[in-house]
Amino acid sequence: MLNAPNDAMGVEAATLASAPQRTGLSEAGRRRWFLAALLGPTAVIVLAVVAFPFVYNVAISFSNMNIYTLRDWELIGLDQYAAVFREPAFWSVFLKTVIWTVVCVAFHVGLGVLLAVLLHQSFIKGKSAWRVLLIIPWAVPQYITALTWRGEFNFEFGAVNLLIEGLGGSAISWLSDPVTAFVAAIITNVWLGFPFMMVIALGGLQSIPKELYEAAEVDGASAWTQFRTITAPLLKPVMVPAITLGTIWTFNNINVVWLVSNGGEPNDQTHILVSYVYEAAFSMYRFGWAAALSMVIFAVLFVFTQVFLNRTQATESVY
Amino acid sequence: MRLLLVALGFAVAVGGCAGASGPPPEGEPVVVRIWHQKDAAERQFLDDWAAAYNASQDTVRVETLYKETEELRNHYVFAAIGGKGPDLIFGPADNMGTLGITETIRPLDDLVDPAFLAGFTDDGRVTYDGHLYGLADQIGNHLTFVYNPALLPDPPATMAELAALGSTLTRDTDGDGDPDQYALVWNYTEPFFFIPFLTSFGGWVMDDAGNPTLDTPETVAAIQYVLDLRDRYGVIPREADYETAKALFRDDYAAATIDGPWSWGGYQEAGVDVQLSPLPVNEQTGLYAQPMAAAKAYSLNPAVPDWKLPTVLGVLELLTGDAIQAQMARELATIPVRTSVRESGVMQSSALLRQSLAQIEHSRPMPTEPQMRQIWDAMRGPYQLVMNGQVSAAEGARLMQEQAEKRIADTFLN
Repeated sequence: MLNAPNDAMGVEAATLASAPQRTGLSEAGRRRWFLAALLGPTAVIVLAVVAFPFVYNVAISFSNMNIYTLRDWELIGLDQYAAVFREPAFWSVFLKTVIWTVVCVAFHVGLGVLLAVLLHQSFIKGKSAWRVLLIIPWAVPQYITALTWRGEFNFEFGAVNLLIEGLGGSAISWLSDPVTAFVAAIITNVWLGFPFMMVIALGGLQSIPKELYEAAEVDGASAWTQFRTITAPLLKPVMVPAITLGTIWTFNNINVVWLVSNGGEPNDQTHILVSYVYEAAFSMYRFGWAAALSMVIFAVLFVFTQVFLNRTQATESVY
Repeated sequence: MRLLLVALGFAVAVGGCAGASGPPPEGEPVVVRIWHQKDAAERQFLDDWAAAYNASQDTVRVETLYKETEELRNHYVFAAIGGKGPDLIFGPADNMGTLGITETIRPLDDLVDPAFLAGFTDDGRVTYDGHLYGLADQIGNHLTFVYNPALLPDPPATMAELAALGSTLTRDTDGDGDPDQYALVWNYTEPFFFIPFLTSFGGWVMDDAGNPTLDTPETVAAIQYVLDLRDRYGVIPREADYETAKALFRDDYAAATIDGPWSWGGYQEAGVDVQLSPLPVNEQTGLYAQPMAAAKAYSLNPAVPDWKLPTVLGVLELLTGDAIQAQMARELATIPVRTSVRESGVMQSSALLRQSLAQIEHSRPMPTEPQMRQIWDAMRGPYQLVMNGQVSAAEGARLMQEQAEKRIADTFLN
């Protein structure tokens, strides 16, 4: 009985050794087939949901596809790209998109890190309850939050103006004016986005050894010096990828701006690029033009990501 | 490379499974699929009808799928271009232009029994570009003056009377300087709700060729009238989108609203004693404030194969036939488009139905030209700019025209 396992292993080894003769495959060949069986379905899914739509979009961006040519569109070269840059509204929408992204992400990160640092302090009581409360904006579906905020910005009946008037100010016609409507959308998006950055920052803070702060205190470093020399550098590897993702999400966040401004109101002056693409494609059926603009958006985000990650060397710790 | 081939082989296998569309096996029912955008009560009616129909026989099964209006049109266009999608699509007549241009609906001229076709009122046969593209089960989408008789016993007959309501029905009951009740509230940010005022001054959105006709004295006068209702007569609130308007009327903070058939049931459920009245007449022009009315119709997918066509057309005739339209009129207060039903005693079955029909008689058909969509979008922005005080009514009308022309050029001449 004591020899049984060895016997069994011997049989298994003999079976494996004889396998190539029976199947005609070497060990390396069988490994490749095994790998193919594992990766095949994934490759198909990636091809179907990422590669094919992307290539198709590139093709459409060089085409004349619109409502009349849906069935028999033709490639027409770079005309749609030229039309994108000739569009009178393009540069103002692009500028609004940059403002929207920079302001939103700055507030997401600023508020998120500030709240995370506060929640990380030992003197804060009821941390669990605070965390739950602060994460609620992120947990509620975006469209519900956006529509709720839209109601709160109503001139006569919204909570925002009632609060302003209660504090002695004058009511603002938030959704009627392009600037204030855009500000309303930004406020809503800041409300929705800071909890994500807070959670990421909180995770990063918890990984920083306490001994570093203890040593700094012994050296007499102030709270600000501790934040600048310990917290910020050690949070950077966590926050930079989060900021990169947050920037891409915000740049492409159609939900909030569309719902709060009711599709770009007033007078299509609160569009960001992605809502402009949506309107061009599904309201005006300018598919070729919309595809070209979406490729411009892709290029902008691709360049931003490369430059940002290189400048911040955010991935250096990964390699 | 080998990995790629494996992946492609898998894709071909999966794709091959999805393409079968031949007749069902012996003994299996033929499935007729319908995509629609019916509102809640009508949706339930259609589902109940389909369930009862399916239970009554074994050879055909009707399947229904609800989609929101915009989603319905876009999803359907792409599905139909790919030779897929439902057998029938149900929606408002103003979709016909887009669906006709994209050849995603099939003309019914030679497919429907002429005797059956003759039983429809003119507005029940939806045509585009000289062809019959849809058969309606109702005409609707028309805005009406909706009032709460507890607050407003006698609806205004003229636009001057409407303006005068502000002095009696817009009230500051708690003395804080802000009105707590309004005479009238409606979604006056949306151009669809502006149409009755435009027509009352003799204006319209496009000419016979589909060209926008917005930069006119009639448009300016209509915009100015709405502005005056707010700023001069205090009839309506400073801001009101659809949800705000609905909430104010439902909760008795407004004596009247301007709303469509999709809303009346909700107001009744909320306990409001809803009464309808035709929108008032403009005493300056002698014209009624006419809203747009649109037939809501079923259209046929060109991808329906010949073997299935008789079954699909049979279901279409059932859904638009006398029995269904009479039942819908009784239970849902929809306006039938079968002559026999329109002339029957059904129309006397409810006050709401009679009042709704009275408004239909003072309405204009919604154009089926595809430019209508671009005109809506072009009107919205400048109209809101006027309401915000950023431009004058005349400048607003000019911008509407300019933007409509640009949008139409961008969409159709690209």
